Amino acid sequence: MTPPRPRALTAPSRARAAWRRLLAPIGLAGATALGLLAISVVPPVSAAVRAATPLRASSSTSSSRSSAGKVSLAVGKTLFDQSCASCHGIEAQGSTLAPSLQDLGAGTIDLWVSSGWMPLAVPGAQPLRKTDRYTRAETIDIAQYVASLSGYRGFGIPKVGLAGTSVQKGFAIYAEICAACHTITGAGDALSAGITAPSLHSVTKAQVVEAMRTGPGNMPRFGPGILSNQQVKDVVAYVVKEIEHPAHPGGLFLGGVGPVAEGFIGLFAGVGLCILAAFWIGDRTPRHGDDAHPGAQNDDDGPAGEGGGREREVEHV
Amino acid sequence: MSENGSEHAPSETGEERIAVSADSSQFQVAARHPRRVEKSAFVLFLVSVAAFAAFGATYVLGASDMVLGVLLAVGMLGFGVALASWGKYLMPRGPFEEYRAPMRTTEEQKKLLVSDFASRGKVAIERRGFLAKVMGVAGAVFGVVALFPLIRSLGPKPGKTLDTTPWKKGSYLTDINGRRLTVADVNVGGFVTCFPEDDIGGAMSQTVLLHPQTTDIVTRVGRETWAPQGYIAFSKVCTHAGCPVGLYEQATEQLLCPCHQSLFDIYSGCEPVFGPAPRPLPQLPLYIDSKGYLRAQAPYNEPVGPGFWTRGGEL
Amino acid sequence: MIDRLFNWADDRLALSRGGRHLLNKIFPDHWSFMLGEIALYSFIILLVTGVFLSLYFVPSEHMTVYHGPYLPIDGTKVSEAFASTLRLSFSVRGGLLVRQMHHWAANIFVGSIVVHLLRVFFTGAFRRPREINWIIGANLLILAIFNGFLGYSLPDDLVSGTGIRIAFSILESIPIVGTYLATFLFGGQFPGSGIIIPRFFIIHVLILPLLILGLLGAHLGLLVRHKHTQFPGPGAREDNVVGSPLWPVFAAKTTGFLFLVAGVSALLGATTQINPIWLYGQYFPWKVSYAVQPDWYMGWLDGALRVMPSWEIHFPGHMIPNAFFPAILLPGITFTAIMLWPFLEAKLTGEDRREHHLLDRPRDRPVRTALGAAIFAFYFVLFGASATDVLANYLSLSLNFVLWSFRIACIVVPLIVYPVTYKICKELQETPGAGKRKVHNIVVRDAEGGYHTIPAEEYPGFVGEEAPPLDVDRIDVLTPAGASEPTPGIYRIPRDYTD
Repeated sequence: MTPPRPRALTAPSRARAAWRRLLAPIGLAGATALGLLAISVVPPVSAAVRAATPLRASSSTSSSRSSAGKVSLAVGKTLFDQSCASCHGIEAQGSTLAPSLQDLGAGTIDLWVSSGWMPLAVPGAQPLRKTDRYTRAETIDIAQYVASLSGYRGFGIPKVGLAGTSVQKGFAIYAEICAACHTITGAGDALSAGITAPSLHSVTKAQVVEAMRTGPGNMPRFGPGILSNQQVKDVVAYVVKEIEHPAHPGGLFLGGVGPVAEGFIGLFAGVGLCILAAFWIGDRTPRHGDDAHPGAQNDDDGPAGEGGGREREVEHV
Repeated sequence: MSENGSEHAPSETGEERIAVSADSSQFQVAARHPRRVEKSAFVLFLVSVAAFAAFGATYVLGASDMVLGVLLAVGMLGFGVALASWGKYLMPRGPFEEYRAPMRTTEEQKKLLVSDFASRGKVAIERRGFLAKVMGVAGAVFGVVALFPLIRSLGPKPGKTLDTTPWKKGSYLTDINGRRLTVADVNVGGFVTCFPEDDIGGAMSQTVLLHPQTTDIVTRVGRETWAPQGYIAFSKVCTHAGCPVGLYEQATEQLLCPCHQSLFDIYSGCEPVFGPAPRPLPQLPLYIDSKGYLRAQAPYNEPVGPGFWTRGGEL
Repeated sequence: MIDRLFNWADDRLALSRGGRHLLNKIFPDHWSFMLGEIALYSFIILLVTGVFLSLYFVPSEHMTVYHGPYLPIDGTKVSEAFASTLRLSFSVRGGLLVRQMHHWAANIFVGSIVVHLLRVFFTGAFRRPREINWIIGANLLILAIFNGFLGYSLPDDLVSGTGIRIAFSILESIPIVGTYLATFLFGGQFPGSGIIIPRFFIIHVLILPLLILGLLGAHLGLLVRHKHTQFPGPGAREDNVVGSPLWPVFAAKTTGFLFLVAGVSALLGATTQINPIWLYGQYFPWKVSYAVQPDWYMGWLDGALRVMPSWEIHFPGHMIPNAFFPAILLPGITFTAIMLWPFLEAKLTGEDRREHHLLDRPRDRPVRTALGAAIFAFYFVLFGASATDVLANYLSLSLNFVLWSFRIACIVVPLIVYPVTYKICKELQETPGAGKRKVHNIVVRDAEGGYHTIPAEEYPGFVGEEAPPLDVDRIDVLTPAGASEPTPGIYRIPRDYTD
């Protein structure tokens, strides 16, 4: 098999990404104005979709692939030596560049690799979410290989079944401990000093559990004393069922970042459309003459000082 | 009288008439092709008829809010565009004008009003000046006392309620489900929101319990015993605007307030290091009892939450 | 039948006396004179949709168990206010649409008031004799903002509950009386004794709407009394109003406009989700979400709270808390300055105290225009600052960097906007005809070989010259000889239009 080629996120492309993100809300406002008109043209279609989508999100989650396949430590070692060992050391013992991975457990490794945080594009860079780096099987191979180096100690890769979970309890816990950083809609937000609480809109069940139990980066660790396994599973149920498939019976979802986006739409689409209507209605219609006696429009503004051009008058009939 | 002179000012009774031909351009419609505008307005009115009818029908049948809304919008917009274009294109285009009298009144008008007011007032009121005074006093007293039931009965005086919380010496740290927390419950790097047992869910007594390390933490001189074995607790109510400081950055050991992004450094006793918060989060002194339960050594030694006039200044 | 009905009413109400004058009332034609109408019509939409909502909303903080189609909250304990908002959103047919229309119309209401205020400011329409109406308008803006905040707070969801918490802190921060105001209003230390939602409700649906209606009546009454301002132009003088008569021209246009504003609200309400409280959940004092802000018209206050440095004033036994400066002092100064502006300007410019019914063009008053633009830029930067966290996340920038950028920007941006606007005004003054419809000239060579120019038609059939205005109170229409019937397709004012 061909080793996956790391996609370096270069500085220019990051700058471009930032620009795109900057332009997105402006485009969104404009596009919404147009989109609203477009949507109004096809109400039966969107209506049919809406009507068919119940408030309860569907429980099918495609993201979690079964890890039932055989684990190959050899493949894991190959990939680890290629992409990880240069910083973390050949025995995952750590180096001046990167911390030791021993005793971290397969769950931690799985989270960091499957989320794309690791391997880093450039040593020392901030971990960013990347996709399509390794297949699910390869990720598990790496994680199990690293775990095997320290005798499989630490938190393993969890298998999460959602039978018997309660999204209601999950929502209550989510609002209490998760929403403060990840926001109540799971959109994610910026923490201090350039660190980010990531979006939860495309995470897997295993990742949620691994993150809660192992506390990656700046995230707190919620051990079994704080949340029982059942409570963690309830949160997982809420995240994969509701956060990832939220109910939007009201129409366009403005990114889940609250009233700022709504304010922009209200001002630019709402007030803006009304002002456009005022432009049309309030504008004086140019005169069309059948009794044409064409003459130049008087442009007698001149250099208008304070109150200039005030005294223009037309003789009465 | 305006500065434009009086020769334009017609009498409002309309003696000075202006004769205008009915063919004058002011009476023409604005549209160049009135038939076309008529047709499109007609179609738009029909569209709104259809949309409103469909709105009614789908409402009875129970369509989604989105369908109802779009039909309503189409009906309204069709109606609005049709009616506005009727007014804009198919009615006399003008311009027309009307006379505007200046706001300033004439001296005679003023004099008349003032003299009426004064002369009648003199006869009726000034001779009974003592009555006017007494009436004024009665009105003023009523006005003042009316404020008491209006405002005073709304709620209790603040009293000492802003200065204290239900935390007492020996209070168990209890989570939202009423479970007394032990040292085993809070792992390193974890955090729990806790309350005194008699005020679970309390807005002002909410406290974050953190466990950043396993050895005692001394945040400040005089707080040597407040965080035994690394268990440390701070008020969860932000000292800026009172939001729950629910955002624990585990690696950098800071608490961030989600509302206005005040950042508090845990190891320095939650001193604010960034953002608008002016004061550190109050620290709750903890001890671990013989059974391993986490308990408060003492209540908070200062008022929690945002500042207020009588809070006093310790700076 | 209609004749009889009219006669019956006329005999009792004397409609004919003065009624004609009302029909003849002239409204000048300019798009910017319709901005206030947006506010008026969105207020009407707010009243209609609000009545619908009030039939279903239960203003109570009493805890209950929600049962309904929204699964993640089904069977959990929430307040009556929250549960009834969920019910009216999901279980009342058309309820979500009306709720969203109400919320969008509120955004449009406050937004159009601000835009209308800017128009009045930049054109000098607040000058004598309209200072009182300017002050009434400013008070309408304050009431609209307050009522918007109260309405946003009613559902008792996680986001708005945090807003109420901050409101308590802001009340509490007022020197001397603050703590009393806060505990009186909330019935005790936060979260109070469960009466804040009922109190907000009655203020939101009764007290403030009544005040707004009263001030609106006064606002419009004064508009009729003063008659509308107008831009200088052909036939426009200080002692007349040039435009379209109320009946039927303006009535048709403005009623059409009412439906257009309603249509925009309905379109947004149908297609764009606003304030999805089911995703936020019930408010509890110890729960909080990141990325919480108030609605945009309170956003500048939230932004001010964020960019304010961490200063407080302490003196023995007492203090003035940090939140007082951005959240009480700033809006206090803002609205006081707005209301005093007409008098300040008259004083500062030493201008004549005559009546002004002809408007300034903004460019002709470069100092006022530049000052207004700079001050508006300041508030716009504060509004942007209410999204520091969202922007930092979106742009992958450090939160610290973004906050400091806004702290600097709210000082620097106005300082840049002022001279730039001033310069633009000066440039425009020196460009004749700038901003007007251009009439192009065609250069023609005549038979003798000379050149002269003739104005081109803007588009086929366009005649540039404007006919002089006709005084609606004085015209006698003469029917041309031989034409007893109006020419088809041409709408004429009937003969008896004047009498």
